[in-house]
Amino acid sequence: MSAATHETEHHTSLGVDNRKLLMWIFLASECLFFGSLLSTYLIFKGESLSGPGTDIFAFEITSISTFVLLMSSLSMVLAVYGAQHGQLGLMKLMLLCTILLGLVFLGFQVYEFKTFASEGLTLSTNQFGASFYILTGFHGCHVGVGVLYLSSLLVSSVRRNGIGKETPLYIDIGGLYWHFVDIVWIVLFTVVYLIPAY
Amino acid sequence: MAEMNAAHDAHDEHPTTTIREYLLIGLLLSVITAVELVMSLYEDALGAILIPGLLIFSAIKFVIVVAMFMHLKFDSIRFTQIFAFGFVLATALLIAVVVLFAFDASDAIGGGFIGDPIEHHD
Repeated sequence: MSAATHETEHHTSLGVDNRKLLMWIFLASECLFFGSLLSTYLIFKGESLSGPGTDIFAFEITSISTFVLLMSSLSMVLAVYGAQHGQLGLMKLMLLCTILLGLVFLGFQVYEFKTFASEGLTLSTNQFGASFYILTGFHGCHVGVGVLYLSSLLVSSVRRNGIGKETPLYIDIGGLYWHFVDIVWIVLFTVVYLIPAY
Repeated sequence: MAEMNAAHDAHDEHPTTTIREYLLIGLLLSVITAVELVMSLYEDALGAILIPGLLIFSAIKFVIVVAMFMHLKFDSIRFTQIFAFGFVLATALLIAVVVLFAFDASDAIGGGFIGDPIEHHD
């Protein structure tokens, strides 16, 4: 039995793969992380006595970046599909698309941050600015980590004896992380950008 | 052991979703996002239904991605339980903290909301 085959037949007492279980536990803990940051943002939203508030947001730019992240989730699920069905060409192409779309999203975020800073909202302007930058900045960090994670999977998949049709689980687990980053943004986009100040 | 292996094998089965179905789901998510954007542009006309409407659309997108893209619909129920535990705990934390700070009992006798004028008591 090859090492790769042995890996896919990794039986556990729970009946689920430990590596995938670990990723789900990590994602559950990440919910608490973002829940804390979002609650801090909601507390300070509209409470600052000086500096710009939510009127500084530009829906058009953020809507495009949201669309980009949604499409990256679609390309990620197609990469997982390719890995699970032995279509390695599709898997590599879609991984590359996901990485590029993630970088485009980060580019939008950097542009947005620079625009806000030029309009007077920085991390130290007021409590709203601090909580906004920390919340969206940490999400951006997660996207950045995801880009590095997927890049390592892509590099590994092009190497001989690297990730292939025997080990779709690695792509599946990477996909879980990426989709989580997407669902966090779904919540942030609605709560931070679309719902007006109360 | 045999039952355990059978359960494990069942979880190893890949989702039966096709590429076409994934593309349709992606299209649906894009349409919902576009509707959300249009709703936020007409906030005055929508009035009180704006925020519940946006939260419902956001929840729909959330569930679609978690169920179909993250394959929770097809995967072991244990993954759903673990993720739901973290998500429910985070939501409860968010509501508790926001309510706690929105109604600050130390601000005035009988309570007061953040942003209310500060009352001085001699």
